[in-house]
Amino acid sequence: MSRFEIDIDLPLGRIALNVCGTSDARALGVFGPSGSGKSSLVEALAGWRRPRAGRITLDGEVWFDAQKGIDRPASERRVGHVPQDLLLFPHWTVERNVRAGAARGGDESTLRRAVDVLEIGSLLNRFPPTLSGGERQRVALARALASAPRVLLLDEPLAALDLPLRRRLLPYLARMREAFEVPLVLVSHDPTEILALCDACWRLEEGRLVEHGPARRVLLAAARQAGTFENVLRGRAAATTDGASRVVLAPGVELSVAGLHEPAGADVLIALRAEDILVSTGPLPAISARNVIPAVIADVRIQGEDAWVEARVANDVHVTVLLTPSAIRELSLVTGSSVCLVVKAQSCRVLARS
Amino acid sequence: MDPQLAGVLAVTLRVALFATLLVAPFALATGWFLARRTFPGKSLVETLVALPLVLPPTAIGYLLLVVFARSGPLGEATLGFDPGILFTWRGAVLASAVVAFPLAARTARAAFEGVDPRLERMARSLGISPMRTWATVTLPLAGRGLLAALALAFGRALGEFGATVIVAGNIPGKTQTLALAIFDEIQLGDERGALLLVGVAVALAFVVLWSVERLARPRAAA
Repeated sequence: MSRFEIDIDLPLGRIALNVCGTSDARALGVFGPSGSGKSSLVEALAGWRRPRAGRITLDGEVWFDAQKGIDRPASERRVGHVPQDLLLFPHWTVERNVRAGAARGGDESTLRRAVDVLEIGSLLNRFPPTLSGGERQRVALARALASAPRVLLLDEPLAALDLPLRRRLLPYLARMREAFEVPLVLVSHDPTEILALCDACWRLEEGRLVEHGPARRVLLAAARQAGTFENVLRGRAAATTDGASRVVLAPGVELSVAGLHEPAGADVLIALRAEDILVSTGPLPAISARNVIPAVIADVRIQGEDAWVEARVANDVHVTVLLTPSAIRELSLVTGSSVCLVVKAQSCRVLARS
Repeated sequence: MDPQLAGVLAVTLRVALFATLLVAPFALATGWFLARRTFPGKSLVETLVALPLVLPPTAIGYLLLVVFARSGPLGEATLGFDPGILFTWRGAVLASAVVAFPLAARTARAAFEGVDPRLERMARSLGISPMRTWATVTLPLAGRGLLAALALAFGRALGEFGATVIVAGNIPGKTQTLALAIFDEIQLGDERGALLLVGVAVALAFVVLWSVERLARPRAAA
């Protein structure tokens, strides 16, 4: 686990980026609207922008300290930086691009693994301008991974793509996250992307860190406002039985889903709207919903007419449910209550590579 | 081929080629510097670089004559040896290089400006040294524009007259280039000879400009 300590002041024209925070998350999401300073924060971490004042450290190693006049050059910070415009070298083959990453210290096996995980083996002799948008993204990620970075900085890596393609690329990112033990910082304005990949989240507004905490909590309002999924669960496709596709979320916790075409063992992401989940405290009659999952309420928060319930279904698996305050009262839901979550297979949206 | 024409062509091509070689490092360095660096007084430097473009070539020639005259700042009396510029083919090279410099530097600048500096920054981030970044990223990506800059310099040197005639004179077989030979033929009233030389000049200029056009055109996706 790596620990970032960031306290910087960076003028950005109309606003100034003033961020002070620490993170030891395996994957930190940085969320905020355009112009909130997300990319500038990443560029300051990468050594591409010099703050006016402040300090940046990773695991106690000082990358920047205005007072002591320390500003380690980008090449010495050993970050795997994937900017929005990817910056692949257009006149080099894909292989040479990826090897450029390895030049800094990545070994051949890391490079091979990056090529395999991102499935770019068949593209190695091509040139970036001949690749599709999704292929280019994967090459840029492979180059960053091949450089054996201490931390991956992904700045809106999917922003240039249309929504369906973005969703298809998410499993690659999730797979990359699992296959490489590299901490990552992901900048995105898409709550689904951060929910799929990050444990913690910083929300920026006008250059300031206005909220931080577990991603599923920080992004609730944003996900609801954007009409997108409040839950993105990581799992593994299980063998199909009785014609139903199942995804294993954790040992002993399975989810029946519709529309899964991945082979058994494949990493998949399941997106689920908080409002599509029912909560039951008593025994259920015969019901059409394919999933009845035991869970324990971890948190209940009432915001106006919305009641947000965080339910723990396994050690690392939390699900956010949207109810009404009256439902909370009638079911007497409090932290620690044992419940069953009822989820239709059709409500589980599979985000898959194919 | 007429031996006199062959001699004129040999001098012309030699002067243009050496002028291009002489101007190349200065034009590339100036172009890169203007494209990539911001500094106080930059517009002044830009104006100075462009100056030979609008100055009468005869004025440039005269300035060079003053500088390299025996008692001039770079003359024999000052240096203690004869730099061998005035009324030699080297003088013609220098005069052509000075006149061609702004065209080459401005085209090189545009070529470097066409390379995204963030690509260079990414290369540096990946641990590629500044020299290797320049040689393997900047130079190849600006390559076509830089070749166009050199082709323009070559073309400009081919047609140089005003500065050359003052610095190097008009010595057949030694400093007489195509432009000077045309002038001679007109002075002598040899219309046929003048037309022949003009035809050769047009053909040469056409080839050079056509090359520049081809080089300056954006490359199709690889």
